Amino acid sequence: MVRIYVHPLPVRIWHWINAAACVMLVLTGVQIRYVGLINLVSFRIAVAAHNWIGFVLIANFFVWFFFYLFSDKIKVYHPELNAVKHFHATVRQLIYYGYGIFKGDPNPHHVSVYRKFNPLQSMTYQVVMLLLLPIQFVTGILLWDLTRFSGMVAFFGGVRVVDTVHVLIFICFVFYILVHAYLGTLGRTPLDYFKAMFTGYEDIEEG
Amino acid sequence: MAKLTLGGRTERRPFATSANGWAIAAIVLALAGMAVSASAGSLSEADQQCLGCHGSPGIEKHLANGETLSLHIPGNTFAQSVHGVIGCTGCHTDINLASHPPVKNPVSTKRKFSVAMVQVCRNCHSEQFGQWEQSVHAALVNEGNSVAPLCTSCHSPHAVIKGAAEDMDTVPCKTCHGDIFTSYAASVHGVLRSGGLTAAPLCFNCHGAHDVSVASAGVGRRDVCLGCHTEALASHSTWLPNAQSHFNAVSCPACHTPQAQRVVDLILYNSATQKEIPGPAGIPEFESPTGSPTAARPGLDPTTLMTLLRTLNSQGVEGKTSIRGRLEVRTGLEDHELTVASKAISDCNTCHREGAAAFQSVEISVAGPTGMPIRYGASKEVLSSAFSIESIGGFYAIGGTRITFLDVLFVLALLGGIALPLGHLTLRWVFKRYLNRKPHQQRKR
Repeated sequence: MVRIYVHPLPVRIWHWINAAACVMLVLTGVQIRYVGLINLVSFRIAVAAHNWIGFVLIANFFVWFFFYLFSDKIKVYHPELNAVKHFHATVRQLIYYGYGIFKGDPNPHHVSVYRKFNPLQSMTYQVVMLLLLPIQFVTGILLWDLTRFSGMVAFFGGVRVVDTVHVLIFICFVFYILVHAYLGTLGRTPLDYFKAMFTGYEDIEEG
Repeated sequence: MAKLTLGGRTERRPFATSANGWAIAAIVLALAGMAVSASAGSLSEADQQCLGCHGSPGIEKHLANGETLSLHIPGNTFAQSVHGVIGCTGCHTDINLASHPPVKNPVSTKRKFSVAMVQVCRNCHSEQFGQWEQSVHAALVNEGNSVAPLCTSCHSPHAVIKGAAEDMDTVPCKTCHGDIFTSYAASVHGVLRSGGLTAAPLCFNCHGAHDVSVASAGVGRRDVCLGCHTEALASHSTWLPNAQSHFNAVSCPACHTPQAQRVVDLILYNSATQKEIPGPAGIPEFESPTGSPTAARPGLDPTTLMTLLRTLNSQGVEGKTSIRGRLEVRTGLEDHELTVASKAISDCNTCHREGAAAFQSVEISVAGPTGMPIRYGASKEVLSSAFSIESIGGFYAIGGTRITFLDVLFVLALLGGIALPLGHLTLRWVFKRYLNRKPHQQRKR
């Protein structure tokens, strides 16, 4: 068993702030959308909290963005340019999660400092971080101040269109957060990956 | 032929057609002159001549259609009116004593006489007359409406006094709009006005004095209200998120008349001109205004509305036909029942929740020929249908008009996000048990 340092401090800080903010945004978002059905806090407080947490998430995004942009750790996000190789690796990973893991097969992905994400993670995180989150930020900011951004809101087809996109991505995140948390328990022990996200170190099998 | 009567007795008045007539007229006028008050005496000699006959109560003309046109002009009242100084011939320029009264009178109906005579007002009041010509009142007159007000309907020409339209007791609007005036009188505006606060609005402050318009047309009451309540946006912004958007999409009475029944008005307008479009021809749903949808006539549904907009926008018309949504109160009476700010709706939950009363009634409105909006019923589902995302993209109230399809997706995502890990975990547990037991079972065999 070898201990390798795969999660630098800025990434860990970003991750947990991101996780807490996302959960809070989902909860306040649900409260905003389902007033009457859920009454944990008032609509007005939920809206104010949702806005503030949204800005925290945006600021936090740039911690992630600039850390990776200005460090060699960005390699963990480098896409596999060989499509066939990427496809095969993805299928292997899917077969592992869908079948191999039940039999006790080893994880086909071997973590290293610069290859800490398996192909499914790599693809998912790139979609989440470079597509879904930015769209969510933009739509969220538009909804935050409809008057200031009325031109852009009109360009996109109106507040209903912007809100629909915001809610669709929110729905994606609800699913993502639940599945992401579960996948976090699929380490050697259920808490291995969670511990690694606090300490930065991950224990991996040698060879 | 129209006939002149005095005291109910039909009588031709021949005095103006003969020399003797003049003498008789002079005597009559002298007597009449003595009869009129000191105020009437302040009128010119020529005017007093007129009052010699027209100052007598009961003088009237029977018209061909059976109506009776009163020709009685109370001398004192006329003398005290702002028109007293210009005298009778100031307006009745066509009257020539040599031929008055005419043998044949062209007056066929009182209305036609009034419509013809109203042109006289333009001579002195050209600005106000021009404004009136742009008004909804003039549009109704031009449309042939027989009760739409002319100048003389509001300003009794022989009794008009300055400031009458600015007094709650004498404001002429209530003659026709009595029920609305009653609502107004009980409102915060009416109470303040009757209490002596002249800054509180009377009818003309919001609707215009002569260029009377429908306050809800165009950008609606918002600008009318903000004309006086200049700090309203700033004060609302201290507690209301997206205050300006609320101002754009929610009419002031929708919150400031808390007891009112609300309705979503989806206004069809041309994005190039920013004006409401007339009712589209050839569309069955726009053949007759239906008001609120009923079971028999459910109104426009989401797909029909979507198809309608696509049809309207595929005809090569300049500017796109879009929908501007606004939350209104249902009736004109409720529009005028405004209450004090402390009693206005300020609880977000009133609208931002499923099933909110505000979104149970929906109407589509287009411009009528007079500028008055014509409203057609629509089903309330247009506010929550996925087919309306494009159609009414500009109107959306979080929680209140949320799209049902997204709720379904949310529940599926939530259930999927829980079920998938639980299923996977269960399979792992089952496989683990099976795999652990297998060697033991094999040993048993």
